[in-house]
Amino acid sequence: MNLQSSFPVLDRKAHEIIAFHHGVEVKAQEFLSRALALSKRLPPNKFVFNLCTDRFQYLLAFCATTIAGQCTLMPPNRLPATLQQLGSEYPDYYLLSNEDVSEWDKSAGQTLTDSPFEIPAIPADQLCAVAFTSGSTGLPTPNLKYWKTLRTGSLGNAQLLLPPTNQRLNVIATVPPQHMWGLEMSILLPLFSNVAISDRTPFYPQDIADALLALPEPRAMVSSPVHLNVLLKSKVQVAELEYIFSATAPMSQQSAEQLERQFGTRVIEVFGSSESGIVARRETSAEVLWRLSDLFTLEICDSGVSIQAQHLPAEVFIRDAIEMVGDKQFRWLGRHQDMLNIAGNRGSLADLNKRLLSVKGVVDGVMFLPHGESERVAAMVVAPGLQAKEILTGLKSEVESIFLPRPLLMVDDLPRQATGKLANRDILEKFSKLIAKPHKVKST
Amino acid sequence: MQTQTAQEKELAELIVESLNLEDTSPEEIEPEEALFGEGLGLDSIDALELALAITQKYAIQLKADDKNMQQAFGTLRSLNAYIQENSA
Repeated sequence: MNLQSSFPVLDRKAHEIIAFHHGVEVKAQEFLSRALALSKRLPPNKFVFNLCTDRFQYLLAFCATTIAGQCTLMPPNRLPATLQQLGSEYPDYYLLSNEDVSEWDKSAGQTLTDSPFEIPAIPADQLCAVAFTSGSTGLPTPNLKYWKTLRTGSLGNAQLLLPPTNQRLNVIATVPPQHMWGLEMSILLPLFSNVAISDRTPFYPQDIADALLALPEPRAMVSSPVHLNVLLKSKVQVAELEYIFSATAPMSQQSAEQLERQFGTRVIEVFGSSESGIVARRETSAEVLWRLSDLFTLEICDSGVSIQAQHLPAEVFIRDAIEMVGDKQFRWLGRHQDMLNIAGNRGSLADLNKRLLSVKGVVDGVMFLPHGESERVAAMVVAPGLQAKEILTGLKSEVESIFLPRPLLMVDDLPRQATGKLANRDILEKFSKLIAKPHKVKST
Repeated sequence: MQTQTAQEKELAELIVESLNLEDTSPEEIEPEEALFGEGLGLDSIDALELALAITQKYAIQLKADDKNMQQAFGTLRSLNAYIQENSA
């Protein structure tokens, strides 16, 4: 059992490349001295919203704020209402932007590359981050990440996912660093493993191709099915790629095979949660079963799975259905009906429903998934005198655009049972009748 | 209400079809109305899907850091102009 009371803020050799910023290699020694300098310029508050969209600056800021003993808040989205709500829960906070980091980093002056490479130790029980997830209560649920959890988890991830060579892996990610998938793969791995991360967050297929070409070999990409499917269909050529790591939504064996064929790569699907971090992997083109990381034990419960690990502050409960196959492998059977995941963003139908019902003028309403996981949320709303557009406007300030219902249908009533309960099949039945009607032809 | 040109109408049809906009018909997309955020209210997933549809129909690859492209995505009119300028 690991009884260490502190861990280094990074675990790289001085000359190793940790990142690429504006096309330039940044070695660990230089990175550390810039992070130390930045840590001395930060405001004295305890909590920070790291809003950097430049991945290198996010990494630099994450390291600096950790050195300064601060805690990075990771909101589920960037809506002003969300930041405001979280800010009121953690009032001793400040915001950190690309511009702040860039300015303070520049003014730190010449970095001394021959200064001793002394890596600060961070207390194992320092609260370094809080990852918020949308829950059914209407308030984002905090998931506490102590340094021990982040660091041990990252070593476990390296063992689970990275090739067992000493060669540096050069990585690009299409996912933002502000959620756990992006944090673990694109911020923590470079701190503790022989990984160099690109500062880019490519969006369109051509951007992805360009960003990959700018990286030296061997290359890997961290992404999600939404992006990967578009990349496949675009038929854009990409440079040689050793691995594609995919998470946040299930990928079909067919997609994995296609990706491997088209890009001459290996696709590794990753399973985890914001609460537990990365937990398991599988090579989807060849495997049906997931292989568990050595750090975790799973226990099947009533409506989900309990995840236990020494480096987690507490047992984590996820609403997935699985079937253990021996101690180290499992089959994934599906997700509990409330949880949504659209393009890597987790949401809760219960949460969305609460917000819908709180819009002024809404008498009754329901948000639901008409076709299953990968489609948009739809809604049926009873709001006499209001139009769909007005209700959407009412929702916009509190709900991320990808969770806004499409379509939002105005109805006279909902098919509630005598008990008030709304059964999913009744919702879907009413919905399919409504959309089967021919479109109204608008007079111009 | 502004009138769509024939090219704009074709693009509007592509938008509605590729994004499965069930409660908007192509004629309802005003040429100078915002496509993203406000107006039509498209979001980042739509941007990806639409870019793909545009690539498949007009053989143009879109890039996020192309400033002209960022402006082009503003309205139906500007997007159509960008496509016309950049297709073979």
